[in-house]
Amino acid sequence: MTNNVTTVDFSSLRGKIEPGSTIIAVGGGKGGIGKSFVSSSLSIFLAQLGFSTLAVDLDLGGANLHTSLGLPLSEKGINEFIVNGNLELQDVMQDTLWPNLKLISGSSETLDTANIDESQRSRIMSSIFRHKCDFTILDLSAGTHQSTLDFFLMAHHKVVVFTPEPSSVENAYRFLKASFFRKLRRYEYQLQLKTQIDELLSNRALHKIKSPADLIRVLIQREPVLGLKLKSILTEMNFEIVLNQARTRQEVDMGLALQSVCNKYFGFPCEFLGGLEYDNAVWQSLRQKNHLLMANRQSHLYAQLMSIARKIAKPKQVKAAA
Amino acid sequence: MSERYEGQTYYELLEVNPQAGSSEIYNAYQRARTTYSPSSPALYSMFTPQEAQELMALIEEAYQTLSHQARRREYDVKLGLVAPKAQPTSNYAPTARSQANARKEDPWLSPVKVVPRNKEELPKGFARTKFSVYEIKPDIESEIAAAEECDGQFLQKIRLYKGVTLDQLSEEIRVVKSTLVALEANDVEALPVAVFVRGFVVQTARVLGLNEKLISAAYMKFFKAKKGER
Repeated sequence: MTNNVTTVDFSSLRGKIEPGSTIIAVGGGKGGIGKSFVSSSLSIFLAQLGFSTLAVDLDLGGANLHTSLGLPLSEKGINEFIVNGNLELQDVMQDTLWPNLKLISGSSETLDTANIDESQRSRIMSSIFRHKCDFTILDLSAGTHQSTLDFFLMAHHKVVVFTPEPSSVENAYRFLKASFFRKLRRYEYQLQLKTQIDELLSNRALHKIKSPADLIRVLIQREPVLGLKLKSILTEMNFEIVLNQARTRQEVDMGLALQSVCNKYFGFPCEFLGGLEYDNAVWQSLRQKNHLLMANRQSHLYAQLMSIARKIAKPKQVKAAA
Repeated sequence: MSERYEGQTYYELLEVNPQAGSSEIYNAYQRARTTYSPSSPALYSMFTPQEAQELMALIEEAYQTLSHQARRREYDVKLGLVAPKAQPTSNYAPTARSQANARKEDPWLSPVKVVPRNKEELPKGFARTKFSVYEIKPDIESEIAAAEECDGQFLQKIRLYKGVTLDQLSEEIRVVKSTLVALEANDVEALPVAVFVRGFVVQTARVLGLNEKLISAAYMKFFKAKKGER
Protein backbone atom coordinates (compact mmCIF):
# COMPACT_ATOMS: atom_id res chain seq x y z
CA MET A 1 0.00 0.00 0.00
CA THR A 2 1.34 3.42 -0.89
CA ASN A 3 0.86 6.70 0.81
CA ASN A 4 -1.45 8.35 -1.71
CA VAL A 5 -4.57 6.61 -0.57
CA THR A 6 -6.62 9.78 -0.80
CA THR A 7 -6.75 9.49 -4.59
CA VAL A 8 -8.76 6.31 -4.14
CA ASP A 9 -12.35 7.02 -3.23
CA PHE A 10 -13.14 5.00 -0.18
CA SER A 11 -16.55 6.48 0.41
CA SER A 12 -18.36 3.92 -1.75
CA LEU A 13 -16.26 1.10 -0.35
CA ARG A 14 -16.83 2.18 3.22
CA GLY A 15 -20.46 1.31 2.98
CA LYS A 16 -19.65 -2.23 1.96
CA ILE A 17 -16.76 -2.90 4.29
CA GLU A 18 -17.90 -4.13 7.64
CA PRO A 19 -15.80 -2.80 10.49
CA GLY A 20 -13.37 -5.46 11.68
CA SER A 21 -14.02 -4.77 15.33
CA THR A 22 -15.93 -2.68 17.80
CA ILE A 23 -13.92 0.52 18.08
CA ILE A 24 -13.74 2.43 21.33
CA ALA A 25 -12.17 5.88 21.35
CA VAL A 26 -11.18 7.54 24.60
CA GLY A 27 -10.87 11.33 24.41
CA GLY A 28 -11.49 14.26 26.65
CA GLY A 29 -9.90 17.52 25.63
CA LYS A 30 -7.75 18.22 28.63
CA GLY A 31 -4.43 16.56 29.42
CA GLY A 32 -3.76 14.65 32.61
CA ILE A 33 -7.33 13.55 33.24
CA GLY A 34 -6.62 9.86 32.87
CA LYS A 35 -7.38 9.08 29.22
CA SER A 36 -4.46 6.66 29.05
CA PHE A 37 -5.41 5.14 32.39
CA VAL A 38 -9.02 4.61 31.30
CA SER A 39 -8.06 3.20 27.90
CA SER A 40 -5.38 0.88 29.28
CA SER A 41 -7.72 -0.37 32.02
CA LEU A 42 -10.53 -0.95 29.56
CA SER A 43 -8.21 -2.88 27.23
CA ILE A 44 -7.02 -5.08 30.05
CA PHE A 45 -10.51 -5.82 31.29
CA LEU A 46 -11.87 -6.58 27.84
CA ALA A 47 -8.89 -8.86 27.21
CA GLN A 48 -9.50 -10.57 30.53
CA LEU A 49 -13.14 -11.09 29.60
CA GLY A 50 -11.79 -13.21 26.75
CA PHE A 51 -12.00 -10.78 23.85
CA SER A 52 -9.11 -10.30 21.49
CA THR A 53 -8.28 -6.67 21.98
CA LEU A 54 -6.00 -4.16 20.32
CA ALA A 55 -4.97 -0.96 22.07
CA VAL A 56 -3.69 1.80 19.79
CA ASP A 57 -1.88 4.84 21.10
CA LEU A 58 -2.99 7.69 18.86
CA ASP A 59 -1.55 10.40 21.04
CA LEU A 60 1.02 10.92 18.34
CA GLY A 61 3.03 13.68 19.94
CA GLY A 62 2.93 12.44 23.52
CA ALA A 63 2.55 8.72 23.57
CA ASN A 64 2.50 6.96 26.90
CA LEU A 65 -0.01 4.13 26.69
CA HIS A 66 2.80 1.60 26.88
CA THR A 67 3.89 3.11 30.21
CA SER A 68 0.35 2.79 31.54
CA LEU A 69 0.40 -0.86 30.53
CA GLY A 70 3.70 -1.40 32.29
CA LEU A 71 5.69 -2.06 29.12
CA PRO A 72 9.08 -0.77 28.06
CA LEU A 73 9.56 1.45 25.03
CA SER A 74 9.20 -0.57 21.86
CA GLU A 75 11.13 -0.27 18.62
CA LYS A 76 8.10 -0.35 16.41
CA GLY A 77 4.96 1.66 16.81
CA ILE A 78 2.38 3.76 15.02
CA ASN A 79 5.05 6.22 13.92
CA GLU A 80 6.91 3.56 11.94
CA PHE A 81 3.59 2.63 10.38
CA ILE A 82 3.08 6.24 9.32
CA VAL A 83 6.56 6.70 7.95
CA ASN A 84 6.81 3.38 6.16
CA GLY A 85 3.95 2.86 3.72
CA ASN A 86 4.78 -0.79 3.25
CA LEU A 87 4.00 -1.81 6.81
CA GLU A 88 0.70 -3.26 7.94
CA LEU A 89 -0.79 -2.87 11.40
CA GLN A 90 0.25 -6.45 12.21
CA ASP A 91 3.88 -5.49 11.67
CA VAL A 92 3.91 -2.87 14.40
CA MET A 93 1.91 -4.69 17.06
CA GLN A 94 3.60 -5.84 20.20
CA ASP A 95 2.62 -8.38 22.83
CA THR A 96 1.65 -7.36 26.32
CA LEU A 97 1.49 -9.13 29.67
CA TRP A 98 -2.07 -10.20 28.81
CA PRO A 99 -2.38 -12.91 26.16
CA ASN A 100 -5.47 -11.45 24.48
CA LEU A 101 -4.19 -7.90 24.38
CA LYS A 102 -1.97 -6.45 21.66
CA LEU A 103 -0.57 -2.96 21.67
CA ILE A 104 0.45 -0.53 18.99
CA SER A 105 2.45 1.99 20.90
CA GLY A 106 3.15 5.52 19.82
CA SER A 107 6.68 5.52 21.04
CA SER A 108 9.39 6.35 18.61
CA GLU A 109 12.61 8.09 17.93
CA THR A 110 11.11 10.05 15.06
CA LEU A 111 10.11 13.42 16.37
CA ASP A 112 7.97 14.94 13.66
CA THR A 113 5.00 12.59 13.64
CA ALA A 114 2.65 14.64 15.79
CA ASN A 115 1.54 16.40 12.62
CA ILE A 116 0.25 13.99 10.03
CA ASP A 117 -1.40 14.94 6.78
CA GLU A 118 -4.78 13.88 5.54
CA SER A 119 -3.57 10.92 3.50
CA GLN A 120 -1.64 9.51 6.43
CA ARG A 121 -4.64 10.02 8.65
CA SER A 122 -7.00 8.19 6.35
CA ARG A 123 -4.52 5.35 5.93
CA ILE A 124 -4.38 4.88 9.70
CA MET A 125 -8.14 5.10 9.97
CA SER A 126 -8.91 2.58 7.27
CA SER A 127 -6.30 0.15 8.61
CA ILE A 128 -7.80 0.35 12.07
CA PHE A 129 -11.28 0.10 10.61
CA ARG A 130 -10.49 -3.10 8.73
CA HIS A 131 -8.37 -4.73 11.41
CA LYS A 132 -10.05 -7.90 12.63
CA CYS A 133 -10.41 -8.53 16.34
CA ASP A 134 -13.13 -8.06 18.97
CA PHE A 135 -12.31 -4.62 20.35
CA THR A 136 -9.99 -1.85 19.24
CA ILE A 137 -9.27 0.85 21.78
CA LEU A 138 -7.95 4.20 20.66
CA ASP A 139 -6.16 6.36 23.18
CA LEU A 140 -6.48 9.91 21.87
CA SER A 141 -4.43 13.03 22.49
CA ALA A 142 -5.53 16.12 24.37
CA GLY A 143 -6.85 19.10 22.46
CA THR A 144 -9.23 19.36 19.52
CA HIS A 145 -6.91 18.74 16.60
CA GLN A 146 -8.66 17.58 13.44
CA SER A 147 -7.07 14.15 13.42
CA THR A 148 -8.02 13.62 17.06
CA LEU A 149 -11.62 14.51 16.23
CA ASP A 150 -11.64 12.19 13.21
CA PHE A 151 -10.28 9.27 15.23
CA PHE A 152 -12.89 10.00 17.88
CA LEU A 153 -15.75 10.14 15.38
CA MET A 154 -14.83 6.89 13.65
CA ALA A 155 -15.41 4.91 16.86
CA HIS A 156 -18.55 3.05 17.82
CA HIS A 157 -18.12 3.97 21.45
CA LYS A 158 -17.12 7.59 21.87
CA VAL A 159 -15.95 7.69 25.44
CA VAL A 160 -15.16 11.10 26.85
CA VAL A 161 -13.32 11.41 30.14
CA PHE A 162 -14.26 14.14 32.61
CA THR A 163 -12.82 14.95 35.98
CA PRO A 164 -14.79 17.09 38.45
CA GLU A 165 -12.56 20.17 38.00
CA PRO A 166 -14.09 23.07 36.06
CA SER A 167 -11.14 23.24 33.67
CA SER A 168 -11.61 19.62 32.69
CA VAL A 169 -15.37 20.03 32.37
CA GLU A 170 -14.89 23.04 30.11
CA ASN A 171 -12.32 21.31 27.91
CA ALA A 172 -14.35 18.13 27.62
CA TYR A 173 -17.41 20.13 26.57
CA ARG A 174 -15.29 22.03 24.09
CA PHE A 175 -14.06 18.71 22.72
CA LEU A 176 -17.63 17.41 22.35
CA LYS A 177 -18.76 20.62 20.65
CA ALA A 178 -15.82 20.43 18.25
CA SER A 179 -16.65 16.79 17.44
CA PHE A 180 -20.27 17.69 16.90
CA PHE A 181 -19.45 20.43 14.43
CA ARG A 182 -16.85 18.31 12.65
CA LYS A 183 -19.49 15.68 12.04
CA LEU A 184 -22.06 18.31 11.08
CA ARG A 185 -19.67 19.83 8.55
CA ARG A 186 -19.06 16.43 7.03
CA TYR A 187 -22.72 15.71 6.42
CA GLU A 188 -24.06 19.14 5.56
CA TYR A 189 -22.44 18.91 2.10
CA GLN A 190 -23.93 15.51 1.41
CA LEU A 191 -27.39 16.63 2.43
CA GLN A 192 -26.98 20.04 0.72
CA LEU A 193 -27.79 21.89 3.87
CA LYS A 194 -24.62 23.95 4.00
CA THR A 195 -26.14 27.26 2.95
CA GLN A 196 -29.04 26.83 5.33
CA ILE A 197 -26.80 25.94 8.25
CA ASP A 198 -24.38 28.75 7.51
CA GLU A 199 -27.24 31.21 7.39
CA LEU A 200 -28.65 29.95 10.69
CA LEU A 201 -25.28 30.02 12.39
CA SER A 202 -24.48 33.54 11.26
CA ASN A 203 -27.82 34.79 12.61
CA ARG A 204 -27.84 32.88 15.85
CA ALA A 205 -29.44 35.62 17.90
CA LEU A 206 -32.25 36.11 15.41
CA HIS A 207 -33.17 32.43 15.38
CA LYS A 208 -32.51 32.05 19.12
CA ILE A 209 -29.90 29.37 18.54
CA LYS A 210 -27.87 28.77 21.64
CA SER A 211 -26.99 25.11 21.31
CA PRO A 212 -26.71 22.34 18.71
CA ALA A 213 -30.13 21.11 19.82
CA ASP A 214 -31.60 24.52 18.88
CA LEU A 215 -29.85 24.45 15.52
CA ILE A 216 -31.28 21.06 14.61
CA ARG A 217 -34.73 22.07 15.87
CA VAL A 218 -34.84 25.19 13.68
CA LEU A 219 -33.41 23.26 10.76
CA ILE A 220 -36.13 20.63 11.01
CA GLN A 221 -38.78 23.36 10.96
CA ARG A 222 -37.36 24.65 7.70
CA GLU A 223 -36.34 21.44 5.99
CA PRO A 224 -38.26 18.62 7.64
CA VAL A 225 -37.02 15.72 5.52
CA LEU A 226 -33.33 16.55 5.32
CA GLY A 227 -33.31 17.97 8.83
CA LEU A 228 -34.66 14.76 10.33
CA LYS A 229 -32.17 12.77 8.31
CA LEU A 230 -29.33 14.89 9.63
CA LYS A 231 -30.70 14.50 13.14
CA SER A 232 -30.73 10.73 12.88
CA ILE A 233 -27.13 10.77 11.61
CA LEU A 234 -26.04 13.02 14.45
CA THR A 235 -27.93 10.98 17.02
CA GLU A 236 -25.59 8.09 16.26
CA MET A 237 -22.92 10.09 17.98
CA ASN A 238 -24.27 9.28 21.47
CA PHE A 239 -21.26 10.26 23.56
CA GLU A 240 -20.44 8.10 26.54
CA ILE A 241 -19.25 9.78 29.70
CA VAL A 242 -16.74 8.51 32.22
CA LEU A 243 -16.10 10.59 35.31
CA ASN A 244 -12.58 10.03 36.57
CA GLN A 245 -10.87 11.05 39.82
CA ALA A 246 -14.05 11.57 41.82
CA ARG A 247 -13.17 12.17 45.44
CA THR A 248 -16.60 12.02 47.05
CA ARG A 249 -19.90 10.30 46.47
CA GLN A 250 -21.45 13.59 45.30
CA GLU A 251 -18.76 13.92 42.70
CA VAL A 252 -19.60 10.49 41.31
CA ASP A 253 -23.22 11.65 41.02
CA MET A 254 -22.00 14.57 38.96
CA GLY A 255 -21.70 12.10 36.09
CA LEU A 256 -25.49 12.00 35.86
CA ALA A 257 -25.59 15.78 35.82
CA LEU A 258 -23.08 15.85 32.95
CA GLN A 259 -25.20 13.32 31.09
CA SER A 260 -28.30 15.44 31.52
CA VAL A 261 -26.55 18.64 30.42
CA CYS A 262 -25.19 16.89 27.31
CA ASN A 263 -28.63 15.50 26.48
CA LYS A 264 -30.23 18.92 26.72
CA TYR A 265 -27.44 20.74 24.95
CA PHE A 266 -26.85 18.41 22.01
CA GLY A 267 -30.39 17.09 21.76
CA PHE A 268 -29.43 13.43 21.50
CA PRO A 269 -29.01 10.87 24.25
CA CYS A 270 -25.60 10.61 25.89
CA GLU A 271 -24.81 7.90 28.38
CA PHE A 272 -23.02 8.03 31.71
CA LEU A 273 -20.95 4.85 31.77
CA GLY A 274 -19.73 5.20 35.32
CA GLY A 275 -17.61 7.07 37.82
CA LEU A 276 -14.11 6.18 38.90
CA GLU A 277 -12.90 7.04 42.36
CA TYR A 278 -9.66 8.84 42.94
CA ASP A 279 -7.14 6.34 44.21
CA ASN A 280 -3.57 6.98 45.24
CA ALA A 281 -2.73 3.42 44.30
CA VAL A 282 -2.95 4.42 40.62
CA TRP A 283 -0.19 6.90 41.02
CA GLN A 284 1.90 4.54 43.11
CA SER A 285 1.62 1.66 40.70
CA LEU A 286 2.38 3.97 37.79
CA ARG A 287 5.59 5.00 39.51
CA GLN A 288 6.59 1.39 39.73
CA LYS A 289 5.70 1.06 36.04
CA ASN A 290 3.02 -1.52 36.84
CA HIS A 291 -0.60 -1.36 35.98
CA LEU A 292 -2.86 -0.99 38.98
CA LEU A 293 -4.93 -3.98 37.95
CA MET A 294 -1.91 -6.29 38.26
CA ALA A 295 -1.87 -6.24 42.02
CA ASN A 296 -4.79 -4.36 43.45
CA ARG A 297 -8.03 -6.26 43.00
CA GLN A 298 -9.76 -5.32 46.21
CA SER A 299 -10.27 -1.64 45.53
CA HIS A 300 -13.46 0.19 44.59
CA LEU A 301 -11.72 1.36 41.50
CA TYR A 302 -11.29 -2.21 40.28
CA ALA A 303 -15.01 -2.87 40.58
CA GLN A 304 -15.92 0.44 38.94
CA LEU A 305 -13.64 -0.21 35.97
CA MET A 306 -15.00 -3.72 35.63
CA SER A 307 -18.56 -2.44 35.53
CA ILE A 308 -17.70 0.01 32.73
CA ALA A 309 -15.93 -2.70 30.74
CA ARG A 310 -18.92 -5.02 31.18
CA LYS A 311 -21.31 -2.33 29.95
CA ILE A 312 -19.27 -1.97 26.77
CA ALA A 313 -18.79 -5.71 26.31
CA LYS A 314 -22.40 -6.68 26.95
CA PRO A 315 -23.79 -6.45 23.39
CA LYS A 316 -20.94 -8.67 22.20
CA GLN A 317 -21.40 -11.21 24.96
CA VAL A 318 -25.10 -11.44 24.21
CA LYS A 319 -24.33 -11.92 20.54
CA ALA A 320 -21.72 -14.58 21.25
CA ALA A 321 -24.12 -16.46 23.51
CA ALA A 322 -26.84 -16.49 20.87
CA MET B 1 -41.97 30.78 27.96
CA SER B 2 -39.16 29.11 26.13
CA GLU B 3 -39.67 27.83 22.63
CA ARG B 4 -36.40 26.02 23.01
CA TYR B 5 -38.00 23.01 24.57
CA GLU B 6 -41.34 23.22 22.87
CA GLY B 7 -42.38 19.91 21.44
CA GLN B 8 -40.64 18.10 24.28
CA THR B 9 -42.90 16.16 26.55
CA TYR B 10 -42.67 16.44 30.32
CA TYR B 11 -41.15 12.97 30.27
CA GLU B 12 -38.40 14.12 27.93
CA LEU B 13 -37.74 17.17 30.05
CA LEU B 14 -37.30 15.03 33.15
CA GLU B 15 -35.44 12.38 31.13
CA VAL B 16 -37.59 9.51 32.31
CA ASN B 17 -39.61 7.11 30.23
CA PRO B 18 -43.39 7.42 30.19
CA GLN B 19 -43.78 4.20 32.18
CA ALA B 20 -41.68 5.54 35.04
CA GLY B 21 -43.05 5.06 38.54
CA SER B 22 -43.56 7.92 40.95
CA SER B 23 -40.33 7.32 42.84
CA GLU B 24 -38.38 7.33 39.60
CA ILE B 25 -39.97 10.63 38.67
CA TYR B 26 -39.19 12.03 42.08
CA ASN B 27 -35.54 10.97 41.77
CA ALA B 28 -35.26 12.43 38.29
CA TYR B 29 -36.69 15.70 39.58
CA GLN B 30 -34.26 15.84 42.50
CA ARG B 31 -31.38 15.11 40.11
CA ALA B 32 -32.49 17.88 37.78
CA ARG B 33 -32.64 20.25 40.74
CA THR B 34 -28.99 19.67 41.58
CA THR B 35 -27.95 19.62 37.92
CA TYR B 36 -29.51 22.97 37.04
CA SER B 37 -28.94 24.78 40.32
CA PRO B 38 -26.82 27.90 39.86
CA SER B 39 -23.84 26.39 41.65
CA SER B 40 -23.79 23.18 39.62
CA PRO B 41 -20.34 22.46 38.21
CA ALA B 42 -21.80 20.46 35.33
CA LEU B 43 -23.31 23.55 33.67
CA TYR B 44 -20.03 25.30 33.24
CA SER B 45 -19.60 26.75 29.72
CA MET B 46 -22.78 25.07 28.42
CA PHE B 47 -25.73 26.90 29.96
CA THR B 48 -25.81 30.37 31.45
CA PRO B 49 -27.44 30.63 34.89
CA GLN B 50 -30.40 32.32 33.25
CA GLU B 51 -30.87 29.52 30.73
CA ALA B 52 -30.61 27.00 33.52
CA GLN B 53 -33.26 28.90 35.45
CA GLU B 54 -35.63 28.87 32.49
CA LEU B 55 -35.08 25.17 32.09
CA MET B 56 -35.62 24.58 35.79
CA ALA B 57 -38.95 26.40 35.65
CA LEU B 58 -40.06 24.01 32.91
CA ILE B 59 -38.84 21.02 34.87
CA GLU B 60 -40.75 22.29 37.90
CA GLU B 61 -43.86 22.53 35.74
CA ALA B 62 -43.28 19.01 34.42
CA TYR B 63 -42.86 17.63 37.91
CA GLN B 64 -46.02 19.29 39.17
CA THR B 65 -47.99 17.47 36.52
CA LEU B 66 -46.23 14.13 36.63
CA SER B 67 -46.15 13.87 40.41
CA HIS B 68 -49.91 14.30 40.62
CA GLN B 69 -51.80 11.15 39.78
CA ALA B 70 -54.92 12.69 38.28
CA ARG B 71 -53.07 15.40 36.41
CA ARG B 72 -50.56 12.92 35.06
CA ARG B 73 -53.40 10.76 33.77
CA GLU B 74 -55.00 13.72 32.11
CA TYR B 75 -51.68 14.61 30.52
CA ASP B 76 -51.12 11.03 29.33
CA VAL B 77 -54.54 11.11 27.69
CA LYS B 78 -53.56 14.33 25.96
CA LEU B 79 -50.36 12.75 24.69
CA GLY B 80 -52.31 9.73 23.53
CA LEU B 81 -50.39 7.39 25.81
CA VAL B 82 -53.51 6.00 27.48
CA ALA B 83 -57.14 5.85 26.44
CA PRO B 84 -59.48 8.21 28.25
CA LYS B 85 -61.47 6.37 30.85
CA ALA B 86 -64.14 7.46 33.27
CA GLN B 87 -62.54 8.37 36.57
CA PRO B 88 -63.79 6.30 39.47
CA THR B 89 -65.80 8.54 41.74
CA SER B 90 -64.49 9.17 45.18
CA ASN B 91 -65.51 6.96 48.03
CA TYR B 92 -65.69 9.85 50.40
CA ALA B 93 -69.17 11.07 51.25
CA PRO B 94 -69.66 13.90 53.68
CA THR B 95 -70.34 12.53 57.11
CA ALA B 96 -72.53 14.16 59.70
CA ARG B 97 -69.50 14.64 61.88
CA SER B 98 -67.35 16.34 59.30
CA GLN B 99 -70.18 18.69 58.38
CA ALA B 100 -70.72 19.54 61.99
CA ASN B 101 -67.00 20.16 62.35
CA ALA B 102 -67.00 22.44 59.37
CA ARG B 103 -69.82 24.52 60.82
CA LYS B 104 -68.55 24.77 64.34
CA GLU B 105 -67.02 28.09 64.94
CA ASP B 106 -63.96 28.43 67.01
CA PRO B 107 -61.84 31.45 67.83
CA TRP B 108 -58.45 30.06 67.17
CA LEU B 109 -55.90 32.69 66.44
CA SER B 110 -53.73 34.25 69.01
CA PRO B 111 -52.00 37.55 68.24
CA VAL B 112 -49.07 36.92 65.98
CA LYS B 113 -45.88 36.18 67.82
CA VAL B 114 -42.72 36.96 65.93
CA VAL B 115 -39.75 34.94 67.04
CA PRO B 116 -36.71 37.16 66.84
CA ARG B 117 -33.74 35.24 65.46
CA ASN B 118 -31.10 37.76 66.34
CA LYS B 119 -30.82 40.58 68.74
CA GLU B 120 -30.57 43.38 66.21
CA GLU B 121 -33.28 45.96 66.81
CA LEU B 122 -35.79 46.62 64.07
CA PRO B 123 -37.35 50.01 63.44
CA LYS B 124 -40.78 50.42 64.91
CA GLY B 125 -43.51 48.98 62.77
CA PHE B 126 -41.36 46.16 61.40
CA ALA B 127 -41.06 42.52 62.35
CA ARG B 128 -39.13 39.58 61.05
CA THR B 129 -39.29 35.92 60.28
CA LYS B 130 -36.26 33.70 59.88
CA PHE B 131 -36.03 34.73 56.24
CA SER B 132 -37.45 38.19 55.96
CA VAL B 133 -38.15 41.53 57.53
CA TYR B 134 -41.62 42.85 56.84
CA GLU B 135 -43.64 45.90 57.58
CA ILE B 136 -46.46 45.25 60.02
CA LYS B 137 -49.75 46.13 58.38
CA PRO B 138 -52.45 46.53 61.04
CA ASP B 139 -55.29 45.60 58.72
CA ILE B 140 -53.76 42.24 57.83
CA GLU B 141 -52.69 41.59 61.41
CA SER B 142 -56.22 42.19 62.60
CA GLU B 143 -57.51 39.98 59.80
CA ILE B 144 -55.22 37.22 61.02
CA ALA B 145 -56.35 37.79 64.58
CA ALA B 146 -60.02 37.89 63.62
CA ALA B 147 -60.06 35.23 60.96
CA GLU B 148 -62.22 32.28 61.74
CA GLU B 149 -61.22 29.94 58.97
CA CYS B 150 -57.85 28.86 57.79
CA ASP B 151 -57.46 27.37 54.36
CA GLY B 152 -54.47 27.14 52.06
CA GLN B 153 -55.14 30.48 50.43
CA PHE B 154 -55.11 32.17 53.78
CA LEU B 155 -51.78 30.55 54.60
CA GLN B 156 -50.49 31.81 51.28
CA LYS B 157 -51.71 35.29 52.03
CA ILE B 158 -49.86 35.31 55.35
CA ARG B 159 -46.76 33.91 53.71
CA LEU B 160 -46.74 36.57 51.03
CA TYR B 161 -47.42 39.29 53.57
CA LYS B 162 -44.42 38.15 55.56
CA GLY B 163 -42.25 37.93 52.47
CA VAL B 164 -41.22 34.30 52.72
CA THR B 165 -40.77 32.56 49.36
CA LEU B 166 -41.95 29.05 48.58
CA ASP B 167 -38.36 28.03 47.94
CA GLN B 168 -37.26 29.18 51.38
CA LEU B 169 -40.19 27.47 53.02
CA SER B 170 -39.65 24.28 51.06
CA GLU B 171 -35.95 24.22 51.90
CA GLU B 172 -36.57 24.98 55.59
CA ILE B 173 -39.29 22.48 56.34
CA ARG B 174 -38.03 19.86 53.86
CA VAL B 175 -41.29 19.56 51.96
CA VAL B 176 -41.18 19.55 48.16
CA LYS B 177 -42.45 22.68 46.50
CA SER B 178 -45.24 21.02 44.56
CA THR B 179 -46.80 19.81 47.80
CA LEU B 180 -46.72 23.32 49.22
CA VAL B 181 -48.27 24.66 46.02
CA ALA B 182 -51.04 22.11 46.35
CA LEU B 183 -51.50 23.03 49.99
CA GLU B 184 -51.90 26.69 49.17
CA ALA B 185 -54.19 25.96 46.24
CA ASN B 186 -56.49 23.88 48.46
CA ASP B 187 -55.88 20.95 46.16
CA VAL B 188 -56.51 18.32 48.80
CA GLU B 189 -56.46 15.48 46.29
CA ALA B 190 -52.78 16.12 45.69
CA LEU B 191 -51.95 16.13 49.38
CA PRO B 192 -51.01 13.10 51.44
CA VAL B 193 -53.05 11.77 54.35
CA ALA B 194 -54.15 14.10 57.13
CA VAL B 195 -51.42 13.31 59.63
CA PHE B 196 -48.72 14.47 57.21
CA VAL B 197 -50.63 17.55 56.14
CA ARG B 198 -51.02 18.55 59.77
CA GLY B 199 -47.25 18.31 60.12
CA PHE B 200 -46.73 20.56 57.09
CA VAL B 201 -49.10 23.18 58.47
CA VAL B 202 -47.50 23.13 61.92
CA GLN B 203 -44.08 23.62 60.35
CA THR B 204 -45.32 26.37 58.07
CA ALA B 205 -46.94 28.16 61.00
CA ARG B 206 -43.69 27.92 62.92
CA VAL B 207 -41.72 29.49 60.07
CA LEU B 208 -44.32 32.22 59.71
CA GLY B 209 -44.36 32.90 63.44
CA LEU B 210 -47.99 31.94 63.97
CA ASN B 211 -49.55 30.00 66.79
CA GLU B 212 -48.99 26.51 65.41
CA LYS B 213 -51.55 24.71 67.58
CA LEU B 214 -54.46 26.94 66.72
CA ILE B 215 -53.55 27.26 63.06
CA SER B 216 -53.14 23.54 62.53
CA ALA B 217 -56.35 22.70 64.39
CA ALA B 218 -58.27 25.19 62.27
CA TYR B 219 -56.65 24.08 59.07
CA MET B 220 -57.33 20.42 59.75
CA LYS B 221 -60.99 21.22 60.18
CA PHE B 222 -61.01 22.83 56.79
CA PHE B 223 -59.00 19.93 55.34
CA LYS B 224 -61.25 17.23 56.66
CA ALA B 225 -64.33 19.08 55.56
CA LYS B 226 -62.96 19.56 52.08
CA LYS B 227 -61.80 15.97 51.82
CA GLY B 228 -65.12 14.84 53.20
CA GLU B 229 -67.24 16.74 50.73
CA ARG B 230 -65.77 14.87 47.81
